[in-house]
Amino acid sequence: MKKSTVKKLLVAMLSFAMIFAMAACGGGSSSGDEGSSEGAAGALKIFNSKMEIQDVFEGELADAYEAETGVPVEVYYSSDTVAAHLSTKYASKDPYAVNMVDEKDLYSLAKEYGADMSDMDWVKDTNYAVTVDGKVVGYPVCVEARGVIYNATAIENALGEKFDPASIKTLDDFKAICDKLVKAGMETPTSIMKEDWSLGAHYLAQFIEEREDVDGYVASLKAGEAKVIEDAKFNALMDTFDVLKEYNMWKGQEGSAERELSEQALAEGKIAFIPQNVQDDYTGKLVGGGSKYFYVDASEGTSAETQQAAKDFLAWFASSETAQKFVSETCGMVSPFGSNTVTCTDDLGASVKGFADADMLIPNYPGFPDDHYSVIGAEMQKYLAGQCTREELATAIENYWKAQA
Amino acid sequence: MNRNTFSYKLRQILMFAGPGTILFFAVVVVPFVYGLYLTFTSWDGVSAHKPFVGFANYAAAFSDGAYWVALGRTAIYSIFAVVFINILAFALAYLVTSGVKGQNFFRAGFFVPNLIGGIVLGYIWKFVFNRAYVAIASAITGGMAISPLSTTGGAMFCLIFVSVWQYAGYMMLIYVAGFMSVSDSLKEAAMIDGCTPSQAMRNVTIPLMRSSFVQCIFLSITRCFVVYDVNLSLTKGEPFNTSVLAAMHVYNQAFTYKNYGLGQAEALILFIVCAAVGITQVMIGKRGEVEA
Repeated sequence: MKKSTVKKLLVAMLSFAMIFAMAACGGGSSSGDEGSSEGAAGALKIFNSKMEIQDVFEGELADAYEAETGVPVEVYYSSDTVAAHLSTKYASKDPYAVNMVDEKDLYSLAKEYGADMSDMDWVKDTNYAVTVDGKVVGYPVCVEARGVIYNATAIENALGEKFDPASIKTLDDFKAICDKLVKAGMETPTSIMKEDWSLGAHYLAQFIEEREDVDGYVASLKAGEAKVIEDAKFNALMDTFDVLKEYNMWKGQEGSAERELSEQALAEGKIAFIPQNVQDDYTGKLVGGGSKYFYVDASEGTSAETQQAAKDFLAWFASSETAQKFVSETCGMVSPFGSNTVTCTDDLGASVKGFADADMLIPNYPGFPDDHYSVIGAEMQKYLAGQCTREELATAIENYWKAQA
Repeated sequence: MNRNTFSYKLRQILMFAGPGTILFFAVVVVPFVYGLYLTFTSWDGVSAHKPFVGFANYAAAFSDGAYWVALGRTAIYSIFAVVFINILAFALAYLVTSGVKGQNFFRAGFFVPNLIGGIVLGYIWKFVFNRAYVAIASAITGGMAISPLSTTGGAMFCLIFVSVWQYAGYMMLIYVAGFMSVSDSLKEAAMIDGCTPSQAMRNVTIPLMRSSFVQCIFLSITRCFVVYDVNLSLTKGEPFNTSVLAAMHVYNQAFTYKNYGLGQAEALILFIVCAAVGITQVMIGKRGEVEA
């Protein structure tokens, strides 16, 4: 009798333990639901996808915003692909109120979940807001452009004369200065990064973007009508690439070009240029525009009040002095807003700002398929390593687009 | 207490098998079934809508050339890796059970690579191949050496090499257990009957260790087929996407190219291939196993 009592007690204890364990599971998920975007302390949840500014964003800026407005802000970062990370947040019905994404993600994520911000003041203050289905959903974080990065100090030290980037207008000018640099002892004045996003999405994409009717050209590529190898833009871009290749510090071992080492060499003045884009029919313009966009989540997971709080934050981020200084001074980014007149502390940023202010930026084309940078980037890597000819590259580009039809 | 009633049996089952079953359902069965459902949709991974498309994703998977190339590459990688992992693991196990001085130290040492996560390990070896190897080879030959990671065959070689380095120590432990389970008396008896040590090894020890071989080969096959971490950190699919293995292609397809349904369908095909190879191998291996 005594034995069975002990047993019963044990059974009871075990069942209790199990129920408790299950309740804990259930409890976990339900608290997750409640916690959606409000956070434990009612903080505004912001997703940041620019790794380089995460520290100052979640520290300095979040503190300043709370001090000025009393609204606590939590800034999150993920090293995962942006869309992949956000998809898990949506799947668990716990989205961020403010999300920083790439432009192409706006057309899938913000199209479905983005709040309409058309009537907000900052929209009138920028050229880079993104409209999807007639609603302004994309709030530009900063302006970036693509071109050749140069180390003016290194060039001046090597040549012993003042360097004026505006003096390089044609490919021959560029070749001439490279030759001069080589003569002056800089063995390899350029460095080409081997990353597929750099070669495919940043460099090669320009031959499609730098034309009047981008959509029309893409349509003719898909229809198999456009002959890439006969295209003047393509050939001009590749002529430039050949010159960059000629003086490449990674010549002979293109495949092991490591980004950190290239940047280090540029900073130390061992090389002078990292591409991209000097062309024979040089117009003085660069391809560039908004880089990284905020959208405000309007799905069920974010209440109307939170959405308003998110919009308030974005309004503040565009117009307050604190935020303007944060963008231009602390982060050294180029503000997409005309009212931000704070001088950009970053030389590269200041240069981009000059192009943007002079209306010398050709817009990025957002219509590239998601695998474009990878597939075409791989073809460019082959070309870079001398494993395919320009004709083969052109054919590969044509085939890629035909398969997209 | 009547132990023959239904409620008693149910309680017993719930008590002992309940927690495990619930966990198994939650983390294996439900995701698997849900994943199966997603293969019939054209979901992009983020949308709230999952349009039903029937078998379109399977059709697309079968016509996705890059996927089949990646799968073929995975098969080649697996064959080389499995063979070398097991040869090396067996040799190491033999070494550390043969009574060499400090064999416990060696056992621990050979096992250490397995304690480093695949991602970190990939970065370490990337450094070794890209910098150390290049610097040393350049110094020796006097010319400019090329990193093996930047050539097509070289990248695959590096993947195989690093996998062997990573797993050989782990498999060694299983072989060590196998060696220890073979009684010395059997070997001695064979020697007394006139066997040379190598004959004793071939005819007595190895047949008795068959289950170790079955286990090790199964583990190494299944791990090699779904490898992702080393692939990502060591080669990232480069050069020119020629070292993209099946799991990486599936990940890219689902998350980077936003074709979740197609990626899921390809993952299912990978699972079926992997399961078929693994089960076949176990069945063949078990057939001749000696019950000692």
